[in-house]
Amino acid sequence: MLSFTLKRIAQLIPVFIGATLLVYFLVFATPGDPIAALSGGKPMTPATEAALRAQYNLDQPFWIQYGLYLKNLVTFDLGMSFSGQPVADLLGRAFPVTARLAILALLIEGVFGIIFGVIAGMRKGKFFDSTILVASLIVIAVPTFVLGFVLQFVIGVKLEWAKPTVSGAGTWSELILPAMVLGLVSLAYVIRLTRTSVIENKSADYVRTATAKGLSRNRVVRVHVLRNSLIPVVTFLGADLGSLMGGAIVTEGIFNVPGVGNLLYRAILKGETPTVVAVVGVLVIVFVIANLIVDMLYALLDPRIRYA
Amino acid sequence: MPENQNFNSEAGLPVNRRAGKVSKYKIEHYVAPLDETPLQAVDSVKETGKPLSMWAEAWRSLRKQPLFIISAILILAVIIVAAFPQWFTSQDPTYCALENSNEPGREGHIMGFNLQGCDIYSRVIYGTRASLLVGIFTTLIVIIVGGTIGALAGFYGGWIDTILARLGDIFFALPLILGAIIVMQLPAFRDNKSVWTVIITLAIFGWPQLARITRGAVIEARNADFVKASRSLGLSKFKSLVKHVLPNSIAPIIVVATVNLGVYIVAEATLSFLGVGLPPDIMSWGNDIATAQTQLRSNPMMLMWPALFLSVTVLSFIMLGDAVRDALDPKARKGA
Repeated sequence: MLSFTLKRIAQLIPVFIGATLLVYFLVFATPGDPIAALSGGKPMTPATEAALRAQYNLDQPFWIQYGLYLKNLVTFDLGMSFSGQPVADLLGRAFPVTARLAILALLIEGVFGIIFGVIAGMRKGKFFDSTILVASLIVIAVPTFVLGFVLQFVIGVKLEWAKPTVSGAGTWSELILPAMVLGLVSLAYVIRLTRTSVIENKSADYVRTATAKGLSRNRVVRVHVLRNSLIPVVTFLGADLGSLMGGAIVTEGIFNVPGVGNLLYRAILKGETPTVVAVVGVLVIVFVIANLIVDMLYALLDPRIRYA
Repeated sequence: MPENQNFNSEAGLPVNRRAGKVSKYKIEHYVAPLDETPLQAVDSVKETGKPLSMWAEAWRSLRKQPLFIISAILILAVIIVAAFPQWFTSQDPTYCALENSNEPGREGHIMGFNLQGCDIYSRVIYGTRASLLVGIFTTLIVIIVGGTIGALAGFYGGWIDTILARLGDIFFALPLILGAIIVMQLPAFRDNKSVWTVIITLAIFGWPQLARITRGAVIEARNADFVKASRSLGLSKFKSLVKHVLPNSIAPIIVVATVNLGVYIVAEATLSFLGVGLPPDIMSWGNDIATAQTQLRSNPMMLMWPALFLSVTVLSFIMLGDAVRDALDPKARKGA
């Protein structure tokens, strides 16, 4: 198990370097002079300009810039944003908010997705199943930002059940509505995945044996059907954590959440390489670690899977 | 397990059903007298005509599926609207009179007007083309690029496979929308915003998924007996890939591509909504929804109409993908 974990963490390194290099290059290739933008288009003394360029390493060719970035990264120096704030500070403020948002969304997806999926799967072809199937299709088809606006308008503005926008603090309770929007599309996928998996497993021999042994239906469903159906669902949830943090760009924009997505979107438009690369790097790490956890959960769910 | 099912379907259902019925009412070790079940009936295999191919059989079951019929009709309708928008409205979508700003629907303008006083219905009709073009061409490019790379990696394995796996990892770690925003900021893309830049951007981040699926399907088909047979009969490696492996691994690709077509349409709308997708002078559902968001409180229908058309289109592609998957998967077809 330990060597497997170490191996997986070692695999993180090329993915991390590849992804940051790709993003660094893309942002590097973006035109527009960030230094000129910094002064608001007004003329700047050549000395100031040169100093600023040197400060952000903008006077160096691409490979040196990237190398310097990596070198600083090892000492946990993420660089400065163009407004003079350390990127680490910006990230430190935005990340917890997005983490809360993503965890809430993941909880909504996981809990409701699996419950609805199991019920639909056990009652295949019945009314509940058909309703859930149609509803999940509709949710998948409607773009997130439309869902976001509609829920914000109906729940936040008309019904006033929740605040339509989030304050600077981004507390748990404020984030429930955005998390619903963020998790809704994936919720539909989780339901469908669980349902398919349950239908496949409920006619398996071991389920028949368990029923024949006289176990209660509840126990058969919980221990025998559900546990064996969870592997594809857990795989999806793990991969989804990464896309939830990326998808937060839209949701955070709608609900004005001061999170990573907002930070990233503004940084991309400004061409602020250090911020963009730092945020993407964090997202990549989260994505890879989530997948590592998923692989470990496999062994927990299915004792046949062992990591030597 | 699969052998079991094959056996059932190949043995011919009528015989099986009769056997089941008999045992239900009589004693279990009932033996039918010869004259009741003639030998030919038990052993009869339809020998006239060729056996149906996988596609013919899938088509036969598709034709009977309401889900398929509904989605196919909807998709056909959307394609016609995209090709000939002038057949569906006599209004000029670019004719906007400010005196009509945010007016509700009236005769000749059933969906009302937007902030600029343009007719919403005609804008929705003319906006179909851009969205559909993005969906169709992104899917085509993704199939060609991702399919080729995935097939080569799966069939030849070795270093090609390793490189693909690592490349795929890098692209996978970057969420589609995030990567697309960054690429759309590149000078070549930002200065030439058009339907094509959106298509290429989405394809850049869309191919790894299809490559992975193709790779998996090709690896499965590569080890099949008929491929080994074709190789031992002297067919070259590449020819057996094209003639035998690919046709037998195309089913999952078609299913995923159909569903993804809808996903790309949504992605285009999302990019346009974020202001980095299609330029504002191209009429598209995404652009119209984006401009409608500021008016949500005063004129919600301005957002709802394009959103409704967008959702129905995406929904029909997803349903089509679902139906095709069911048809190509014999396990699901029997309704087990």
